[in-house]
Amino acid sequence: MRDHLRALSGQVIAIGVALLMGAIIILMVGESPARVFMTLLRGAFGDQEKIAGTLLQTTPILICGVAACIGLRGGMFNVGIEGQLFLGGFAAAWVGFAMPLPAGIHTLAALALAVVAGAAWVAIPAYFRARYNTNEVVSTILSNYVAVLLTSYFTIFLFKRPGGWSETPPILATSYLPEIFSFSRLNWGLVIGLVLAVGAALVFRYTKWGYGVTMVGSAPKFAEYGGVNVKRQGFLVLLLSGAVGGLAGGVETLGVHHRFMEGFAPGFGFDGLIAALLANGSPVATIFTALFFGALRNGSLLLEVDTSASREIITVIQALIILSVSAQVLVRKRGDSQAGERRWKF
Amino acid sequence: MSNTPGSPTLHSNAAMAVELTGITKRFGAFVANDGIDLAVHRGEIHAIIGENGAGKTTLMNILFGLLQPDEGSIRLNGEEIVIADPSVAIKAGLGMVHQHFKLVPSLSVADNVFLGMEIRRHGLIDHAAQITRTRDLSKRFGLQVDPTERVGLLSVGIEQRIEILKVLVRGARTIILDEPTAVLTPQESRELFQTLRSFVAEGMTVIFISHHLEEVMEVSDTVTVLRNGKKVATRPTAELSKDELVHMMVGREVSFDRRPRASLHGDVVLEVKDLWARDDRLLPALRDASFTVRSGEVVGIAGVAGNGQTELAEVLSGLRPASHGGAWLKGQNLTALSPAAIRQAGLAHVPGDRMVRGVDRNASIAANTLMGRQHRAPWSRGGMLNWNAINQNAETLIKSFDIRARGPSDAVKRLSGGNIQKVVLAREFTNGADFLLIDQPTRGVDIGAQEAIHDEIMRQRAAGRAILLISVQLDELAALADRILVMFNGRIMGEVAGDDADEERIGMMMAGVAAPEFAAETAS
Repeated sequence: MRDHLRALSGQVIAIGVALLMGAIIILMVGESPARVFMTLLRGAFGDQEKIAGTLLQTTPILICGVAACIGLRGGMFNVGIEGQLFLGGFAAAWVGFAMPLPAGIHTLAALALAVVAGAAWVAIPAYFRARYNTNEVVSTILSNYVAVLLTSYFTIFLFKRPGGWSETPPILATSYLPEIFSFSRLNWGLVIGLVLAVGAALVFRYTKWGYGVTMVGSAPKFAEYGGVNVKRQGFLVLLLSGAVGGLAGGVETLGVHHRFMEGFAPGFGFDGLIAALLANGSPVATIFTALFFGALRNGSLLLEVDTSASREIITVIQALIILSVSAQVLVRKRGDSQAGERRWKF
Repeated sequence: MSNTPGSPTLHSNAAMAVELTGITKRFGAFVANDGIDLAVHRGEIHAIIGENGAGKTTLMNILFGLLQPDEGSIRLNGEEIVIADPSVAIKAGLGMVHQHFKLVPSLSVADNVFLGMEIRRHGLIDHAAQITRTRDLSKRFGLQVDPTERVGLLSVGIEQRIEILKVLVRGARTIILDEPTAVLTPQESRELFQTLRSFVAEGMTVIFISHHLEEVMEVSDTVTVLRNGKKVATRPTAELSKDELVHMMVGREVSFDRRPRASLHGDVVLEVKDLWARDDRLLPALRDASFTVRSGEVVGIAGVAGNGQTELAEVLSGLRPASHGGAWLKGQNLTALSPAAIRQAGLAHVPGDRMVRGVDRNASIAANTLMGRQHRAPWSRGGMLNWNAINQNAETLIKSFDIRARGPSDAVKRLSGGNIQKVVLAREFTNGADFLLIDQPTRGVDIGAQEAIHDEIMRQRAAGRAILLISVQLDELAALADRILVMFNGRIMGEVAGDDADEERIGMMMAGVAAPEFAAETAS
């Protein structure tokens, strides 16, 4: 418990320092930090539509965050969630427009293929990691570019909607993820994300498999000594992480855009990874960090309307958060170098 | 120079290349160097010998400015100096060849040698001059290399020569080599010794870290022995026998406080036959080991650390492949099984490096006691863990093994070394295995906990377990073992009965003198 509190206070301080530095930068561009932060807050939580909008932005970040948590728990840094999300998004769209099925079943089939696509895409780096011990950080980062360009190719050359933008035909209404409220596109994807987060936490805590994976991530040599197949568990964990990444794309396609288009969900994969790191790899804590990033994204829409600050200030604040969280890990690392290095391998 | 004739400064001596006084270095609670004094004469080969973890590398890293001492002072050529970082050391004429080389594989030998201090002409690197100087130096000291070859294509032995050349062109007069022969073939080692002798012939000084007796006896003029972070002695090599060196390294204060025991040897549980294994460098580390362990018997493995004991333990627990031969646990060949299957077959393992292998320091005591048994009821059913049973069991173990902790949810990293070891023992001794592989059970553990651990091992023996006890502490083996096998250089040199453990004989075998040879000596 004391450890949890210490970790939590560390994260809070890190976010505080980042916001402070953000305030200095806002001052430097000649805006009032108080006004910018108030506008952000109003833009994120001002009325029920804004709250729904924030939750809508939170959904993909949360699901990608859970994907990252699964990897981190097993000691795997899946930086390829962005690519898995794109492939999952395309796969779901393809089922949605090309394969007429009854309502409900159609949605499930599309989500299932999104899961398969995400897992298949990460299977390549995961195989090389297990077989040749290649660094999964590098290979998953690189696989993002291939995934994004590959889905662009599919969209523009193979499945382009006649006469339209760089997008596929719209998916059939039978495959939609139902919306929760009439006034927002917020959909059941959020529920999927919440169930995944809580479910992942329960699996890690209460199953034999989760125990083995946790040990592989936290003390691989101990796990090996105790008879856990470290390579196999590492492979499975990456596969599962990729599957959830693919699911995030499917949810985004079926719930929000109802088609696949180029650049359809920029940066959600990376935001999810950051949310997971900020949450110290805990899926439940990721619910809150994802909400934080979702609120920043949604609040920034109002920022350019109401203040003279650019909404890129949000990107700056996010970068500052990454910096201060890393710095915090480095500070803590002095006391416990192994844990720090393991968590931040590169 | 403050050291003018007629007014000799206390402790200061210009004939000394290096003088370390009262060097102490702590890492947390662990004292790596404890008030070490070291004086190295100019123009000698000074060996620093000690077991793994004795503090040799720490001491040299302090001398080279890679670590700062907590206490103590350093003099070079009679002058006191603070070595804040390696650049100060290099300027003062020190050079260090590390265990792990730091070379750029894509560059040529000469470019590597001059990296960071390139010879320049008209602002450009003068490759021709670099090649010539490298060639001159390599001829002068018998360090055969082709300066134009790319480093990535060369063997480890040659890489080491390049590292030595790097040190030489930076003007070193005192050269520190950290375990230089660990990566070399015997032939390459002999060539290295030639080179070291040519250094001292030119008035340079060599400090040579090793844990191999043979080469220390062969090449050094003076030996300093370290043990557990303390200096044992500094002596001229010529006055020392190998036997004496072993005793200084492993400690002579052997107390034969032998545990009383009833003879209850049962069936053979473990049979090891013609077992060979390689170390991480793929060199043979375990050679042709054959022995048996019966139920109700403690078989001890003695030897200076680093003579194949680690590899033996790793092969038996499935963490390292065997290259030849086999080991049968109740008829099952362990060398064909995974670590999980070996545990299934009846192995409990107390690993030598318990912080890395034995526990997850960040996890709770309860989670640590679960490892290895998470597949069995009542700890898990249908893939779901039963935390009630796990916590209750951890509570029981904390009581019965007297683990000083607040409760099962305490993180292991909060415990002391002795209590962490008790967590490991509690887990391994209660999982119902017939064969206990126990590696360094009391290393770094305080006296009280040591007694408790020895009691527990004897209880396991009385319960009919077959026990293989690996230890570098002779007194531990003498107290507990029914038979003691002595390892040297990967081989089992001989066997001594625990009841009349003759430390003389064990010491000779630890130093690499074969048992029959020794027997012949005493007979004559």
